[in-house]
Amino acid sequence: MRLAADAIAQPLEQGGGMTSTPLTAPPGNAALTASRLTKSYGASVALAGVDFRVDPGESVAIMGASGSGKTTLLHCLAGIVAPDSGSVVLRSGQDALEVTSLDEAGRSRLRREAFGFVFQQGLLLPELTAVENVALPLMLTGTDRRPAEQTAAMWLAALGLTGFEERRIGQLSGGQAQRVAIARAQVTGAAVVFADEPTGALDSQTSTEVMDALIRSTTDRGRSLVVVTHDESVASRCSRVLRLADGRIVGDRVSDDRILDGTSR
Amino acid sequence: MTTLRLAWLFARRSTSARSTIVLPLVAFSVVTALLLIVAGGAQAFFSWTDELAGIYQVLAVIALSLLVVPLVGLGGSAARLSARRRDDRLASLRLLGATPGLVARLTVIESTGLALAGAISGVVVSLLVSPLVGLIPFRGHPLGTSILLNPGWIALTVAGVGVLAAISAAVGLRGVILSPLGVRTRQQAPRMHWLRLVITVGVFVAAVVAMSVVQAAPGIGILATILAVGFGGSIAVLNLIGPWLLRAIASRQARRARTVRRLLAARSILESPRAAWRQVSGVAMTSFVAVFAGVGVALLGAVGQSPDQQSRLVLADIGTGVLITVIASFVMVACSAGVNQAAGILDRRDVYVSLDRIGMPVSEMNAARSRAVLSPLRITSIGSALTAATVLFPLTGMSLLISPFTLVVVAGCLTAGMLLVWAALRATRPVLDRVLAEPSPSL
Repeated sequence: MRLAADAIAQPLEQGGGMTSTPLTAPPGNAALTASRLTKSYGASVALAGVDFRVDPGESVAIMGASGSGKTTLLHCLAGIVAPDSGSVVLRSGQDALEVTSLDEAGRSRLRREAFGFVFQQGLLLPELTAVENVALPLMLTGTDRRPAEQTAAMWLAALGLTGFEERRIGQLSGGQAQRVAIARAQVTGAAVVFADEPTGALDSQTSTEVMDALIRSTTDRGRSLVVVTHDESVASRCSRVLRLADGRIVGDRVSDDRILDGTSR
Repeated sequence: MTTLRLAWLFARRSTSARSTIVLPLVAFSVVTALLLIVAGGAQAFFSWTDELAGIYQVLAVIALSLLVVPLVGLGGSAARLSARRRDDRLASLRLLGATPGLVARLTVIESTGLALAGAISGVVVSLLVSPLVGLIPFRGHPLGTSILLNPGWIALTVAGVGVLAAISAAVGLRGVILSPLGVRTRQQAPRMHWLRLVITVGVFVAAVVAMSVVQAAPGIGILATILAVGFGGSIAVLNLIGPWLLRAIASRQARRARTVRRLLAARSILESPRAAWRQVSGVAMTSFVAVFAGVGVALLGAVGQSPDQQSRLVLADIGTGVLITVIASFVMVACSAGVNQAAGILDRRDVYVSLDRIGMPVSEMNAARSRAVLSPLRITSIGSALTAATVLFPLTGMSLLISPFTLVVVAGCLTAGMLLVWAALRATRPVLDRVLAEPSPSL
């Protein structure tokens, strides 16, 4: 199912689901910078001094063999795990927030209000309807259910899921469920969306559609997208491809398309 | 033979989370201890041969049968938990070509082994508390050593718990898919036929009418018979209407939910109203019994204007029996709720991790889990107590329903039961903490 770019823009114009609740991080477009990140699990070094930056409107694919540290990097960037050393800073204009200085509750709130997540299996709540799943992050930030579901419905419509609002997740195809997951990731107006193998469980056609939806709904709106993937075709859709090996960055390539049209950093 | 060898290998190399083993072990231990205690009491009653012995023997059989329902439910929950504990290994076995039958047999053997281990520890517990139980007076005297079962009966009880666990494990596995990609809960679209409501209303009205027309019962015998029929009919329809009612109320709660915890709790009940009912049905029956017996005892006491010493003892003993059954039933429901919740957390571990990732506070997850159990528990226990009170109302009027004895039994039963179940739910928090601390590698 093709997605309309102007439909994607609608929720953004209406605030992208942002509420009046004060955010931990500055809303809207923001850059995420990581400096000299290290992380070990026992004797195993997952990250060995990684520097990383993703700008507003940029999409970065993180690639590497299993055990190269890509998921650990995503977890450190998103405040899911604390690095052993180094820092992660979310910056918007003059405002900056040091993610690594937050305690567990603070990081949890940051993930709730400023970040969005898309997982390989979608990991939506099967007992909830599509619209309830999408509204969930908004309700967690204190938004009343009715406006939360209205915003959620707009996001579902923007992602081509009009008429599917009341369906339960088990009644959706894999691609539809993944688009619900994308809507859930964006509904709070997340500055950065993290996706871990978002197309790993999909066929190639559906994978293309889901990546279209993911990129249109993030970078086209000036948000940032960080994707961990094994799939070269998925990585090629991102504006940058970062390669990790043994916890170190061994490649940082701006996509050929971006170089050709002069939009590379 | 291969199945047994694999089961032995699994048992030896266990690295499962402690709570997932301890919970079913404790649950089966408690169940066995309770069964042995009640069976011991029944043995004492069956050793009597006088004209009152029959009443006590019937009461003992009713008490035992009331405990069987939660026991079977507990066995199924333990099996599901066992399957979850072995998720990765069972999936790997399927990948290696093991048939679903072999994997199911492994799970049943494991559950049964766990049940037998729990049952044996339950025997120890029952022996340890037997001196205290022996102090409980029936017919004016402590039961003493007459409650001690001989080794043959104890072995039979342990074997019975094992067999029940095996059967309910096999039945419980029907709700789980053991595929090479892991163990997951089968998606079932619950549908409840409206005919349940019609039948229930019919039986209920009949019970109320029956109670109304026998107000002038000529003697205690007829009165007791009417009470028994009214009791039996009403308790039978409780199981029919319970899931339907839970579904109807949860639907309303889901529509009106304003917070995440309320929405999740209501939706999780709607996911399987039958499972929600099974978990709390023991309490529903016990609450019903508590009110019925409480009022019945008060009524029988009132009918006999000046009861003799023997009648007074019988009435007091019925009260004692009801209290013991109520406590036993609540303990089992609490065990069952704990085991079910632990299994539920492991069932949905990836979903819980994803909720943690998107910033849902753990306190909110725990609140939703508790609500999903305590809300049906509240509805069923209060609902069944009210049903019993309504059925009895034409017969007894308001005075007996609000007699101090009835109120104390009902209020004490509900409060203690809620607290027990709440404590059991709290005991599962470490399981969720562990799941969040050690997510699967794909997350």
